[in-house]
Amino acid sequence: MSLVFDTNMLIYMLEIIVGGLLVSVGVHFVPVGGAPAAMAQATGIGTGTVTLAAGSGLTGLLSAGLMMSVTDNIWPILATGAVGSMIMMDATMLTGDFIYSYAVGCPYASAKVNYDPITMFPQPPYVAPGTVGQGIPTVCFVSGTIGALLGGVGGAMIYYPCLQIGGNPAQAAIFAIGIFFVQAVIPSWNIQGTIEGFHDPKFKKWPLAFKASLVAGILLAIMTVLIQPLGVV
Amino acid sequence: MDQLKGFKLEPKQLRMYGIIGSVVGIYLTVGLNAMTGTKVFSFIGCIAALFAVLWGANSIRRICSYGLGTGVPAMGMLCTGMACVAAVFGLNIAGRFGFDWGGPIITLVYAMVFGYVVGTLCNKVMKFNIPIMEEGLMDGSGACTMAVLAWSVSLSGSLSYNEIIATVYNTGFLAVIFILGGMALFHPFNANLGPDEKQDRTLIDGMMVGGLAMFGLGICSIVTIGFAPAMLTIVVGFALWYYFFVWYFRLAKRDAAAVVGTGLLPPSAL
Repeated sequence: MSLVFDTNMLIYMLEIIVGGLLVSVGVHFVPVGGAPAAMAQATGIGTGTVTLAAGSGLTGLLSAGLMMSVTDNIWPILATGAVGSMIMMDATMLTGDFIYSYAVGCPYASAKVNYDPITMFPQPPYVAPGTVGQGIPTVCFVSGTIGALLGGVGGAMIYYPCLQIGGNPAQAAIFAIGIFFVQAVIPSWNIQGTIEGFHDPKFKKWPLAFKASLVAGILLAIMTVLIQPLGVV
Repeated sequence: MDQLKGFKLEPKQLRMYGIIGSVVGIYLTVGLNAMTGTKVFSFIGCIAALFAVLWGANSIRRICSYGLGTGVPAMGMLCTGMACVAAVFGLNIAGRFGFDWGGPIITLVYAMVFGYVVGTLCNKVMKFNIPIMEEGLMDGSGACTMAVLAWSVSLSGSLSYNEIIATVYNTGFLAVIFILGGMALFHPFNANLGPDEKQDRTLIDGMMVGGLAMFGLGICSIVTIGFAPAMLTIVVGFALWYYFFVWYFRLAKRDAAAVVGTGLLPPSAL
């Protein structure tokens, strides 16, 4: 046996690269606050980017895999992945907001803008002194949902070709998770760990992560499409 | 307590130990298993992984001391995530050319190239300006990949692509390797970082978690390689964990400002 390269493999590679780019851009939308947010001293979800990306990505993969067991059509698979990932992210943000509101007892406020771009409510009066905002205000919630949509579509788009190549769901899921992690960590380095959403000034840096993810995606895609099932020797 | 001597290793030395230790360990595992026709020597795979852990934990320690803003686990996850794909890539390519023995070398080379490219991207495109980024990520991804491969070999007891897919990927034990291996690589620096961080303490912590991972994987391998070889992995893993735990405890006591027994409340306070 030797290496064979055909059009199908090129399409699979393209799907893996585009999926990775969607994940990479999606991470920029998710409001991540890290440890300061966990202490209600910064806006966003109180955990790291990688944890959030893993959570939404794995939920997206699970729902995409479920759909994939009934159909081979790529569109419903992508849609299910996106919806699963969005539900997970929204549930996380909603529960987080309940805790900020009823347990910590703080108003939701963004420190990066003076007026919430969606509700037009003024923000500075509600930001507690010495902090950079609290909770997950409306604009961050909407931004997080968009991020989860992109992440879910991206995750499903990586999983789909992996399964088509190997025909082995366990292996495809692990490959998809591995690629997902790489594509989630690169943009989170780009935003230096914290971001509020599309209204954050750091969001303008996304083309840098896009370029880096493109090259990393090409390297990963080459590796993934070359791994073909071997006959029992 | 003060007599406890530490050690200091250069990154180049550690890279050499990591590459030679893990590659030789993997070949030794597979060779001895094939020669005796048993799976008894699978535990050597886990010991080979310890060399890679030593190598990887040091590279993560070097890069993350610059402060990336995302926490230490992110880098471990990047390297381990890539390792999940790269570990079988080499085996598959080698298997297709009917040259199973070349697998680990192809894997190692591709992983290091990948790490170097991502490191260059971080510096040149994302403007990190960390001077050791390329070198550190190259070491990190190479070490993570060799560790994942060595643990996979010790779970399956062989170097053939089909067997590793059947025993490690299809059973889902790769998830255990992923998180235990990730722990062994990124936890040491995460737990020991700070102004008084010392290389020997961090690396011994890594070895300790590596021993714990060996213990956990031993339990997993009861299903894949049989009870007796798995018990050997469990016992050796537990012994290694205990040895490095005691060592780590003594190092932690050495680096503590003072260890004093405060005793009970003084009589005047009662």
